[in-house]
Amino acid sequence: MYTHQMMELIKKVEATRPRRKGVDYPRMAPQERQEVLRNFHPDFIADGFRPLKVGVNKGDKVPRELADLIEARSRIANVSLNLEDPTYDVDVLVIGGGGAGAAAALSALGKGADVLLVTKLRFGDANTMMAQGGIQAADKANDSPEIHYLDVIGGGHFTNVPSLVRALVNDAPMVIKWLEELGTFFDKDEQGNMLTAHGGGTSRKRMHAARDYTGAEIMRTLRDEAFNKGIKVIEFCAAVELLLDTEGKAAGAILFNLETEEYLVARAKTVILALGGSGRLHFQGFPTTNHYGATADGLVMGYRAGAKLAFMDTIQYHPTGAAYPPQILGLLVTEKVRGLGATPLNINGEQFVHHLETRDVESAAIIRECSERKLGIPTPTGMVGVWLDCPLIDLIHGEGTIEKQLPAMLRQFARFDVDIRKVPMLIYPALHYQNGGLMIDENGATAIENLYVAGENSGGIHGRNRLMGNSLLDILVFGRRAGWHAGEKCKEVQLKQLSLDHVDNYHRELAQNGVDTAGRVSPMLLPRYTHREALQV
Amino acid sequence: MVQVEMVDIYIMGKKYVVPASLTIMDALEFAGYQLKRGCGCRAGFCGACATVYRIAGDYELKVGLACGTKVEQDMYLAQIPFFPAVKQVYDLETLAPSNTAIADYYPEIYRCIGCNSCTAVCPQDLKVMQYIAYAQRGDLARCADASFDCIMCGLCASRCPAHIVQYHVAILARRLYARYLLPQAPHLKLRVEEIREGKYDAPLEALMGKDIEELKVLYNSRDIE
Amino acid sequence: MRYSYYPGCTLKTQAGASLERPALQAARALGIDLVEQEEWQCCGAVFPLATDEIAPFLAAVRSLATARDRGEKLVTLCAACHHVLKRTNHLLQVGSETRDKTNNYLQLEQPYTGEGQVIHYLELLRDELGFDRVAQKVTHPLAGRRIAPYYGCLLLRPAKIMAFDNAEDPRVMEDLLLSLGAEPVDYPYRTECCGVYLSVNNEEIAGSMVRKIVHAALKQGAEAMVNACPLCHYNLLNLQEKTPGGEPLLPVYYFTELLVTALGLPEEVGDKTR
Ligand SMILES: Cc1cc2nc3c(=O)[nH]c(=O)nc-3n(C[C@H](O)[C@H](O)[C@H](O)COP(=O)(O)OP(=O)(O)OC[C@H]3O[C@@H](n4cnc5c(N)ncnc54)[C@H](O)[C@@H]3O)c2cc1C
Ligand code: SF4
Ligand code: SF4
Ligand code: FES
Repeated sequence: MYTHQMMELIKKVEATRPRRKGVDYPRMAPQERQEVLRNFHPDFIADGFRPLKVGVNKGDKVPRELADLIEARSRIANVSLNLEDPTYDVDVLVIGGGGAGAAAALSALGKGADVLLVTKLRFGDANTMMAQGGIQAADKANDSPEIHYLDVIGGGHFTNVPSLVRALVNDAPMVIKWLEELGTFFDKDEQGNMLTAHGGGTSRKRMHAARDYTGAEIMRTLRDEAFNKGIKVIEFCAAVELLLDTEGKAAGAILFNLETEEYLVARAKTVILALGGSGRLHFQGFPTTNHYGATADGLVMGYRAGAKLAFMDTIQYHPTGAAYPPQILGLLVTEKVRGLGATPLNINGEQFVHHLETRDVESAAIIRECSERKLGIPTPTGMVGVWLDCPLIDLIHGEGTIEKQLPAMLRQFARFDVDIRKVPMLIYPALHYQNGGLMIDENGATAIENLYVAGENSGGIHGRNRLMGNSLLDILVFGRRAGWHAGEKCKEVQLKQLSLDHVDNYHRELAQNGVDTAGRVSPMLLPRYTHREALQV
Repeated sequence: MVQVEMVDIYIMGKKYVVPASLTIMDALEFAGYQLKRGCGCRAGFCGACATVYRIAGDYELKVGLACGTKVEQDMYLAQIPFFPAVKQVYDLETLAPSNTAIADYYPEIYRCIGCNSCTAVCPQDLKVMQYIAYAQRGDLARCADASFDCIMCGLCASRCPAHIVQYHVAILARRLYARYLLPQAPHLKLRVEEIREGKYDAPLEALMGKDIEELKVLYNSRDIE
Repeated sequence: MRYSYYPGCTLKTQAGASLERPALQAARALGIDLVEQEEWQCCGAVFPLATDEIAPFLAAVRSLATARDRGEKLVTLCAACHHVLKRTNHLLQVGSETRDKTNNYLQLEQPYTGEGQVIHYLELLRDELGFDRVAQKVTHPLAGRRIAPYYGCLLLRPAKIMAFDNAEDPRVMEDLLLSLGAEPVDYPYRTECCGVYLSVNNEEIAGSMVRKIVHAALKQGAEAMVNACPLCHYNLLNLQEKTPGGEPLLPVYYFTELLVTALGLPEEVGDKTR
């Protein structure tokens, strides 16, 4: 529920609304885009980053919070384990029960491999489940994989790895077809044509959606299919360290049963990391849209085993995290809200940026509005934000549009007495997506033999910035590719003796480089919250 | 100084004093728990955090998502960390979207006694009893539509006297409907064929060969739908 | 004329094409506005003998109360559903323990005490519209066709509660047939039970009942049989003897199929009655 002061400010929004309806705010010129990014995007806050002191990426800058976890001791430093007697022994070990993991497991299974999927929380408790907006694919007549390619690489500021972008856009329609055949309930018209919309940075309407539960619909379908296919799944079982064999190839993982707190050995011929992102590290103190388990475990484990990080100095902030009411601070307001025509407004009810700039530019512009220009709207909890004028949507597309197309959003705000059909939302950028990750090739393979990475855990596809709808896409494109490849590759793997020498070596390297780990242990596995801030008024 | 409003809550019977502004989930953490089960998305999408509670003095047993329900004074609560459910295994490819497709796998839907307990507890406000009624009469389209927002939290099944696992019934309906009754997208089929024939191989190859300056020109001058 | 309409599951799964679709089509042609209830659940199809459990009545009461709230009579088509809804309505009318318990449980905005009305489609034609009005709309009279109505028990009994027709000598289907221009055939057993509840367990007994009924009608020169109940229909069709070609000796129709034929509306529903 908004305060009286806020309701007063909303009157200004209502006053300017008729004049703004249907009027397109100009997009930024390339020059201005660069400027606003340089001055206001958190990636350019020098203090938020520091260079790594050890490992393959020694000298490269990453967010401080991540550097602290990378430069920490392993959880199994003092655990005695019998590597000769593994609890699990499979062809393909998939780590992570999100969309990438599910797609990889199904694809590896399709190659005839014996697959085990382990995941930290429940199968499907993942960022994938939360994606609302949609998934991109160039499958309409006025669109093509080339146009999609250009959007991806321009959105990524021309830093993306070209071969990965090609794989992404080329496989996209195939992925949608696959989902369609699995009975994914996409929004369609009566002829079966997909209802597609714009997303930030797209030049064609290619965002496919399943109302505003797109990720959930994909995730629950893949999960259902994984159960139908009899894939072995172990929940509340986190991977804490990779296992290599004596030749330095990936050969399994050390698992941790969260409930019994027991460490277990899983041996596998090929390993697929699909552990998702790192929002729960709260870089620079930002609230996050991510699920509870997004703690960068995959980056930490992979890095310790010698895989390379790429683009970890760039993080995506979603321009529209909820800033109020406080119970939903950081909750994602899906980009679809802007896709349908809602626009950001300052305290005077005036628009200050086109509503569909790329996310980094849009976020930076909102931060500028609130900091330099001081035109943000203050909340009683000491936050500041800008309006997102959602009632415009029903004005543009007709009454009932919000109810039909944004049921999740409507419900989320209604739980705290804000009716988004009638009043604007208050938003501020939130930590949303890890643009980089472990470097992969077109097959999801890393430089470590038999180690694959897929999904948000991987890096290179999106360069320095990902467009909405390309992540749900990438987790499936590369989840499938990694699954197929790992499922084939395992047939020729001759496992040597298992080894954790790389962990010992890593500890040695930390010492040699004078890193004081200050008692830090990683991966983090679960965040710890105490909510003391709620004691402040 | 303004006082922060605090309330007494009872987590599995044990008392804690927490700020009134918190959700149940945050209150659990405020009280000192580090959640393992019962916490996923923290935003109402995953269904991990089903919680049952009673307010002291009130007869009614209430339920809610811990991540989306505020604490109240004298709330007695416990999370449901896991709920055993029957999920039938099927091969979607060989099924037909017939009237009885669901009943073939979940005949127990006919044991529904219409008590409406499921609808009463659903945190997504779905008309659960009604979507089961649609399933009974083989109306896949309506069952799919009415159950769309289901986050599979399990609360309905936890209250069902007929032992129905509503959310698994619903996903079968949705998959059948989307696979067989919604027409397949014609433009998608076409594009997949084009890609298989290699229509975009050369153009993509050409784009990959361009340097950044060339790409910038193309990107900045691309037409926007 | 606007009515709430309760179809029931059987019409949605099995008897849709031959019982429901023609019924809805005929209603449109006759200017009757039948609006399917937005929400309804299975009524159980069998009226429970024990009334100490309230669960079996809940779906029926919800539908009855919703129609009442809309100020409309509730029209049924399936004889089994009609039986359940009508008897449930009666049970709630007569101030029973079931009435209190059900209302306590449902917590409706306004308690339901049987003030709504349930009518079967045949009653709708007879009492609300009038067979004379039906006759006026007939374009293709079924002249010369000798048809035997079969009632079964669900619509008629218990007679006091169902109050459908004279339970010993019902006329409603005969009168309908006359209005459609056909010749009703009088024969014994037309109100006898067809044994459908037995057919599940004891097909032999049910079969002999059906054969008895069919033979009686044939003996009186019937060329077809007409009925209003999906359960009887199933039994009558499947348990009677077959011709060497595998066809039933006596064709069996729903009254709605004859109705659309006589109203000249067969294109959309397919005329299977000629
Ligand atoms: C709120 C929100 C909205 C979004 N909206 C969109 C959108 O509209 N379109 C789009 O394209 N993208 C969107 N994204 C991004 C996209 O959803 C994610 O990037 C993508 O789903 C990641 O998939 P994943 O399988 O790689 O990781 P996840 O889905 O996060 O899965 C990772 C899994 O690994 C598990 N795990 C983590 N650590 C361990 C461990 N140590 N051991 C074992 N398992 C572990 C986790 O529990 C989880 O199950 C959104 C993201 C969020 C958070
Ligand atoms: S239908 Fe059942 S499982 Fe689905 S959200 Fe509602 S209560 Fe939860
Ligand atoms: S809880 Fe079970 S029995 Fe009761 S209405 Fe729902 S599905 Fe039917
Ligand atoms: S934690 Fe996912 S619904 Fe509450």
